[in-house]
Amino acid sequence: MTSDSPLAIELVDIWKRFPGVVANAGATLRVKKGTIHAVLGENGAGKSTLMNILSGVYRPDEGQVRINGEQHWFHSPSDALASGIGMVHQEFRLVPSFTVAENIVLGASEKIIRRSFIEKEVEQIAQQFGLAIDPTRPVWQLSMGERQRVEILKTLWRKAQILILDEPTAVLTPAEADELGKVLRKIAEDGRTVVFISHKLHEVTAFCDEATVLRGGKTVASSLKVEEVNESDLAGLMVGSSPMISERPPYQEPGEAMLTIEGLGTLDDRFLPAVKNLNLTIKSGEIVGIAGVSGNGQREMAQAIAGLRPITSGKVTISGKDLTNAPPSERFTAGLGYVPEDRLGVGLAPRLTVTENAILRCYKNLRKSIFLVSEQAVNYCKEIIERFGVRTGPIDEPIAGLSGGNLQRLLVGRELSGNPKVVLAAQPTRGLDVQGVKAIQDLLIDERTEGVAVLLISEDLDELLTLSDRLLVMHEGEIVKEFDPTTAHRHDIGAAMAGKRDES
Amino acid sequence: MKRLVLVRREQPLRGGQPLSFLIGLVVALLAGILLLVASGHNPIEIYERLFNSSVGSSNAWAKTLNRAVPLGLAGLAVAVAGSMGLWNIGAEGQILAGAMMAAWIAQIGEGWASPLLIPLMLIASILGGALLASGPGIARAQIGVNEIITTLMLNEVALRLLQWLIHGPWKDPESRGFPLAPLLADEARLPKLFGRAHWGVIIAFLVIAFFGFIVSRTAWGYELKVAGSSGATARYAGISLNKKIITVMVLSGGIAGLAGGIELSGTSDRIVEGVSGGYGFAGIIVAALALMRPSGVAAVALIFGAVQVGGLSIQTLGVSSSVSTILQALILFGAIGAGVFNRYSLKSVKREKKGGST
Repeated sequence: MTSDSPLAIELVDIWKRFPGVVANAGATLRVKKGTIHAVLGENGAGKSTLMNILSGVYRPDEGQVRINGEQHWFHSPSDALASGIGMVHQEFRLVPSFTVAENIVLGASEKIIRRSFIEKEVEQIAQQFGLAIDPTRPVWQLSMGERQRVEILKTLWRKAQILILDEPTAVLTPAEADELGKVLRKIAEDGRTVVFISHKLHEVTAFCDEATVLRGGKTVASSLKVEEVNESDLAGLMVGSSPMISERPPYQEPGEAMLTIEGLGTLDDRFLPAVKNLNLTIKSGEIVGIAGVSGNGQREMAQAIAGLRPITSGKVTISGKDLTNAPPSERFTAGLGYVPEDRLGVGLAPRLTVTENAILRCYKNLRKSIFLVSEQAVNYCKEIIERFGVRTGPIDEPIAGLSGGNLQRLLVGRELSGNPKVVLAAQPTRGLDVQGVKAIQDLLIDERTEGVAVLLISEDLDELLTLSDRLLVMHEGEIVKEFDPTTAHRHDIGAAMAGKRDES
Repeated sequence: MKRLVLVRREQPLRGGQPLSFLIGLVVALLAGILLLVASGHNPIEIYERLFNSSVGSSNAWAKTLNRAVPLGLAGLAVAVAGSMGLWNIGAEGQILAGAMMAAWIAQIGEGWASPLLIPLMLIASILGGALLASGPGIARAQIGVNEIITTLMLNEVALRLLQWLIHGPWKDPESRGFPLAPLLADEARLPKLFGRAHWGVIIAFLVIAFFGFIVSRTAWGYELKVAGSSGATARYAGISLNKKIITVMVLSGGIAGLAGGIELSGTSDRIVEGVSGGYGFAGIIVAALALMRPSGVAAVALIFGAVQVGGLSIQTLGVSSSVSTILQALILFGAIGAGVFNRYSLKSVKREKKGGST
């Protein structure tokens, strides 16, 4: 790689709008040939949309796509592939009952081809790039890491010169991720170009040559040389800066401990430790913010506290009551309100009506013997709608028609309607418009004023700095540092998010 | 270039159901005229017969109702499982299991009085269907085996068992070699309501109403709907899924089994290979057209029954069975499918222009 290598990819001033959302607002990406280029950004920053535009899945509303200096207007992924662009998606697109070789050929050839010929070809490419795999094995027998190799081989066999990998390490163990890094280096040395989407900073600094950072659909830092930046700078670029409307609430003396977490441990979806020996106490009348690059155990911690993920070690108590092994409903009764990260599909049931969603937490109290008293349910729903200003259509219609902001108001309202002692809010304002953000933030502030203990997990550093009384930074499943939000420096928080400990 | 797309209405039309039914029916009948003229028939004559034979007289109503019974119960079986997001594709086999169990009780209880024998037969039929569906339910709940596959495969098991019975131990000695079980004794036959319509009509209606009520009005039904909408939301609300999956599959199988018992005792009067009459598979269509809502199943089954009866009758006028089937499908989907416009409206949008790379 030399600094004057020609540009393989140029995405200039890309705009892409979806109903109600601007996914890309003038994003730009320039990648040099023969390099590994990281595209960084939090969830919702517009990475996936930009990559889908590059690989021909979406067409941009405005902007230009140039490949090797030539302007293109892709209509489909096969158009993009014909120009040498191959994408490895997060969810693999493989037929489990077919062999590796069969999956690689699938859809690529109209001619009849000899199986042994393909198998030999695949083996050759595999050896060249160090992708150890047996082309005759059926895919269902392979591990996630091996399946990913098949996806990479698929693009290489189709002669892709540009490979896009969408969060490739999300499904890998750390050792597999290191292995992937070596393979990508070999691919780059072969003169091909790799675009690597991630939000794991240490992988970016370990594997990649250059990095582009997206935030809110815009490019905030373009083609940074990875050797010249450190993880803290990257973390600082990724987070922050949304329009802030809510004001910092005045100081108030916190009361007694409401939520106590001692030595909490839990596993992620791959059964690897996600949270390790976490200790945390939240007092009445304070908001404790959790900052961190996503994927560092925040999600798993929230689910473990809420009872949706088994706790492998430690103890969770709410105002003195041990709830470590209690089901979610018992935690709600004990005073825990939980606003999950996934609104639709976890917090709200998409096909059910507004009323049915409103009573999700308390329907057992609206029973008369085995019957649900619909009058009570409707009243309960109307109370939430009025108190929290939810704008809905008819309340006996499915919630699918509600806007994102109103869905969240309904969800947050429902969780606050049980007069909780502790509120656990995970990304409560993500993806909301300005009005929605303010409404939800004000609700959290009101709860704090009334003496509720609030645990706020957010990717928005400005939100955390404004709302929190204490700010904790999480890294690899542990709390690495505590800040006073009134005096903390953004750069120090960024350093902690990249894993710098208190002691150093 | 323009193209038409369906756009969700902000608010569904209130009370649009009867109107959309009528409009859909008219559109389907108009389309049917083309079909009939093209195949060389007089549409007026055919439609007259279609109407008269299905709803034109009390005799016609009896036939329609008798057909609506197994259709409605099979549809209910699919819809009850469907409210929780489960697919019971095995209603056909469960109907057979129910019919076999009922026939077995009829053999054991030879000479017993009707008020004793018939309830026992129907209870046995429920147990038979429930038993056949319990396996898939347990396998799904405990180890996550896809219930679509298991229920579908058990259809074959039930069918083979029935074939063995009517070729072997249950074969009627007076059937002159045909694989038939003996006719049921008179005491084992459901009494008639009017004409040829039997009491199964009342039983089916009550069962459908009962489950419609349970699903829409009780806390248990509410939990079912939450689980059907999203398993993650159900866990979040503290609803345990495993027990519910088994219960729902057993209930679903029991309802289908009851359809088999009623069909045997009310209509077919003996076990033959076609005793299930394809109602188990038709039940999937009934449930889908009722949007998986148990409360909607009765109306759909009635329309379905009328269309089937009429469709059979017009074949005596020389309409081929394939044309009749197309006509039945047209009417069914026209009349019921038009309901989609209560929720969606048609809108024409510009097609994106196509072009090569520049």
